[in-house]
Amino acid sequence: MNQSDQIASCDNPAVPIVLLLEIQQFLYREARLLDGEQYDEWLELLADDIHYWVPGVQARYRKDDAKFSVGRMAFFDDNLEYLKIRVARAKQPSAWAEDPPTRHFHLVGNIEVEKTENPAEWTVHSLILSNRHRTEDDEMEIKARRVDLVRRDQDGSLKLARRKVILQQTVLQSKNINTFL
Amino acid sequence: MSNLVVETTGREVPVAKAGEWVDAENGWIDRRIFWQDDIYALELERIFARCWIFVAHDSQLPEIGDFLTSTIGQDAVIVSRGEDGKIHTFLNSCSHRGNRVCFAEVGKARRFTCNFHGWSYGLDGSLKSVSRPQSYDGNANFDKAQLGLHPARVESYKGMHFACFDPAAPSLEEYLGDFRWYLDVILDNDEGGIEFIDGNIKSRLKCNWKFPAENFVGDSYHAPWTHSSALIAMFGKQPTMRPERSYHANVNGHGWEFGLDFIGNAATLNSPQIIEYLREQEAKFAERLGKVRSRMVGALSSANVFPNLSFLAGHNTFRTWNPKGPSETELHTWVFLNANAPQELKDEYRRGVMLTFSPAGIFEMDDGENFENCTSVNAGVVTRRQKLHAGMGLDSQIDHDELKGNVYQSQINEANQRAFYLRWADLMGAETWADVPVR
Repeated sequence: MNQSDQIASCDNPAVPIVLLLEIQQFLYREARLLDGEQYDEWLELLADDIHYWVPGVQARYRKDDAKFSVGRMAFFDDNLEYLKIRVARAKQPSAWAEDPPTRHFHLVGNIEVEKTENPAEWTVHSLILSNRHRTEDDEMEIKARRVDLVRRDQDGSLKLARRKVILQQTVLQSKNINTFL
Repeated sequence: MSNLVVETTGREVPVAKAGEWVDAENGWIDRRIFWQDDIYALELERIFARCWIFVAHDSQLPEIGDFLTSTIGQDAVIVSRGEDGKIHTFLNSCSHRGNRVCFAEVGKARRFTCNFHGWSYGLDGSLKSVSRPQSYDGNANFDKAQLGLHPARVESYKGMHFACFDPAAPSLEEYLGDFRWYLDVILDNDEGGIEFIDGNIKSRLKCNWKFPAENFVGDSYHAPWTHSSALIAMFGKQPTMRPERSYHANVNGHGWEFGLDFIGNAATLNSPQIIEYLREQEAKFAERLGKVRSRMVGALSSANVFPNLSFLAGHNTFRTWNPKGPSETELHTWVFLNANAPQELKDEYRRGVMLTFSPAGIFEMDDGENFENCTSVNAGVVTRRQKLHAGMGLDSQIDHDELKGNVYQSQINEANQRAFYLRWADLMGAETWADVPVR
């Protein structure tokens, strides 16, 4: 393979540019589906064994325990079944708080792709900015760092197998999270 | 403790109007109490600076040096386990220039040391040392014993620690009164009591703190309507609330609305293991609590300890509504379970609360929208002249052989909300605790 087809990442062997672009497009498309509340199509991007985790982040001293950890309270600690229940609620006509709809905006950036031991799986780092507007002047913004595991499925499509979302805020500056990050 | 001063005494405020703000007898609430700065300022003094405010459960601070930070009204406090093994609560503000002395929300410490001039305080808030102490040599007004961080009283009920800044307030026992009998439904249905699961989810709502507090104290009326989407997503139908088998009960402004259906709340956690556990324990609960209270353990219900500690039996979540201004509230959410319950249920409860009653939960995400809009509309001067109707169930009070406190038939009711606002008005209009009636 020609050197120019490859992109270097700091501690991992190079990943082909074509694959990087494919994974970028996968994340951009996912963001667009979430913006459009196309949740059924979004669910199709997820692997059956998805673990979708948004832990609560705490301001702790450096010498102390981690700012987040497994088993501690979280906003999401979901498998596919839980995610489907959330989607089922969002789709109900009686989800009064969703009508008029929230105007969603998911911005994805700083995408970095790393190889893993499994040739069909990649660790993908990215930043997410979720901006939401409601009615006239209601605005909420959530910024977070994401670490995904993206997998090449047997049918050749990419699937999201793991997602860890590390919020910037320790106190969520929003009344709710009526979207996915 | 002699240097404690209650600032409310003598303050020039429209206290005579407290009775006009709340007409509990006829069920009318003045909207200005959700909006006006002067009313809010008085709330901080007369409600939060003199009521018992929940600060921590015993299991959150198991070892000496464990601490967390919280607020009582808008006063920032440190809650810590001292060398004496007791829970202490004191202001998180240095006696020298007032800087915060603790910046972490939870952790373990030996001292709380100010970043500014190095004044260092012990786990009980007492001043232990300062930098360059020789600078104070011969200085008569530098008495370390007088320069500790201002303490609150701390008392506890079955592992729940409350703090109070008013030396004249009644004991926690008196403050809770017969509501303790109801609290035992969750705090003492098993000999091991409860424990909190690690972590505390925090979020901000642009609402007055009283809207969510009154929602938990008695508003089962909103559940089938507001939460229709979540109920249909989980069950395909609405829950059954039976007027003849459900109640409002309140004591001193604390209130619980409940059915006797045993598992109505717990059923929304999406966990067969939790339902199985409750069913297995049902006979034990009844032995400990009696038949009626045992039916409340996981039932369709909600409750609030005045002013701002809400909880849901069955869901096993406690939460506090911390005021940040007349139209801003910080919600702190915890999950608990019986300490003797199988530990694999920890994840079931933790994930179940996340799915239902956390900011991303399918029930709670509809509530915030309502609370915020109930608040923000009051920017309109004509709007806030219109009183709110809180008159459901005015004639529903009953005598009940077993249930304690003021009891009302049917959980679809507003009796507890009226009791909550009446207690609020009692405190707002009272110069001292001596003027606050037992309700």
